[in-house]
Amino acid sequence: MTGRSEVLLEVDGLVQRYPGTRNAAVDDVSFQIRIGETLGLVGESGCGKSTTARCIAGLTRPTGGTVRLGTRDVLSASRSALKSLRRDMQMVFQDPYSSLNPRMTVADLVGEGLLVHGLRPERRARRDRVVELLDMVGLPASSLERRPRSFSGGQRQRIAIARALAVEPRLLICDEPVSSLDVSVQAQVLNLFKKLRTQLGLSMLFIAHDLAVVRYLCDQVAVMQSGRIVEIGSRDQVYGAPRHHYTRELLAAVPVPDPPVERERMRTFRISEEST
Amino acid sequence: MVRFITRRLGQLVIVFAGLVVVAFLMSVILPGDPGRAAAGRNATVAQVAEARHRLGLDRPLLMQFGHYAARILHGDLGTSVFTHQSVLSDIRQVLPSSVELVVAGMIINLVIAVPLGVLAAYRRGRPADVVARLFVLVGAAMPAFWLGLMLQLIFADQLKILPLSGQLSFGVDVRRITGATTLDALLEGNFPAFGDALKHLILPAIALSASFIAVVARTVRSSMITALDSDYIVLARATGAKEWRVVVRHGLRNALVPASTILGMQLGWMLGATVLVESTFNRTGLGAYMVTGVLQNDLYAVIGSILTIGVVFLLANFAVDLIQLWLNPRLRPRRRTSAVPLVTSPAPAGGVS
Repeated sequence: MTGRSEVLLEVDGLVQRYPGTRNAAVDDVSFQIRIGETLGLVGESGCGKSTTARCIAGLTRPTGGTVRLGTRDVLSASRSALKSLRRDMQMVFQDPYSSLNPRMTVADLVGEGLLVHGLRPERRARRDRVVELLDMVGLPASSLERRPRSFSGGQRQRIAIARALAVEPRLLICDEPVSSLDVSVQAQVLNLFKKLRTQLGLSMLFIAHDLAVVRYLCDQVAVMQSGRIVEIGSRDQVYGAPRHHYTRELLAAVPVPDPPVERERMRTFRISEEST
Repeated sequence: MVRFITRRLGQLVIVFAGLVVVAFLMSVILPGDPGRAAAGRNATVAQVAEARHRLGLDRPLLMQFGHYAARILHGDLGTSVFTHQSVLSDIRQVLPSSVELVVAGMIINLVIAVPLGVLAAYRRGRPADVVARLFVLVGAAMPAFWLGLMLQLIFADQLKILPLSGQLSFGVDVRRITGATTLDALLEGNFPAFGDALKHLILPAIALSASFIAVVARTVRSSMITALDSDYIVLARATGAKEWRVVVRHGLRNALVPASTILGMQLGWMLGATVLVESTFNRTGLGAYMVTGVLQNDLYAVIGSILTIGVVFLLANFAVDLIQLWLNPRLRPRRRTSAVPLVTSPAPAGGVS
């Protein structure tokens, strides 16, 4: 998946500065995602991950920089160009409780992309496609007429994923899609992402603060701190031989579920910290 | 669903009972002797005493209340001293005209307040927001009768585009079927008369709705702001939906529930507010009937009108509860969904909402 394949998303020098704040929320962020590749964006909360995602999706206008999807510039796109760009990149949000309109049925929620992009103009065809999508994410066709409130968090996130995949996007932007879920449900949803990525040849920008999640799913990893990308590289490189001390700190903060090992680990980490 | 409706109906009965008690207490406490009013202006002391006995006014209060409540339950609101007819038949005569005015006022209210509220929320903090809020505030700050006079002055006297007062122009006549002039004209198939009645309705309806618009517009604005800030709005945009769809389909439908509660209450208030408007525009209606009742010391007419307004208020709110049930599926009792086998998740399907 790595190597010389074509670049799908190119972010260059992205800056987002909010009035009245001294530091930029996103400060000179640049990275690329190749076709079929998954980039994990990790960092503590408030470091600018979500803002970066929203800028890329054209939901907020950044102060500076460029975002290209294929050959098309996202930030200078006209209304109609933006609409067709949005067909090619869809989003999944963190909180499946607030990101699904409580007053719409699953059929309407998942079918909305099809409807607004005119992909399946006839009702019946749209319905068939929605059933197909629900099946893809592991939900029964009997969910169609139900509303989000009758689903659990994991199921809601599956609905959100089906909704995003409806228009066959090339890039899926996931903003902490599993961090509000229980650990066991997290695993199910992560496996779903992994399956869908292979099945559909998706490229993904995967935002998370959980390093284990990113390690499981991503080919490339970018570490963000205070609006900047401090380290970027392949998964093995970042996890195996972290170069930036913040990355090492993050890795060290992941607890090991075995008390003696954990104690030993913390000790060696402190020593290595003192020596640097 | 059935339980919800029975519960609401139970509440309705309780509130109605309270209303009857208050109306009765008013008849006791308010100045003016019903016995004197019934016996007539020039009656002797003995005649007044006789009238008081006939009306049961010399019995203990509790017994009086029992009789009064029993009469109301039989639909007897007493006899108007002024028209010498039963208050109920009087009200039946005038109420349709007031309902017509209230419906027209409500339509104007909705047509102006909801879009203004949405616009103000969508452009919050911008000039459009400020202008919209100022506009509705000015409308709310003007007393209905004064606004009515100003409207008459501008549109009837100066511009001469709308009639000054009344319900129909001189020479135009509509047979009474329901009592609501516009509806009667339509039922008769008399379209010129319908147009004429409609023209007579515009200014009073504007005067009536002005103070109500502000409340609805502000409610819509604030609930719309909450809705527009939510994740599902951002997601709808990210999906590629047009702004109209994002704002109306996703935003407004969620923002309408608080507004519908307010609208239900306003329906009752509006009927009360016809008191000020109907006199100004010289229309028949419950408001005008009440004003006459007060001026003539016609206690039963006034209390009957108050009870009527109360009942309309209660029924309107009951209707709103039903509409909200439809608008907001979350209020509906939960279907037992966990019985449906779900392929992937063993967890029960009960969501937290």
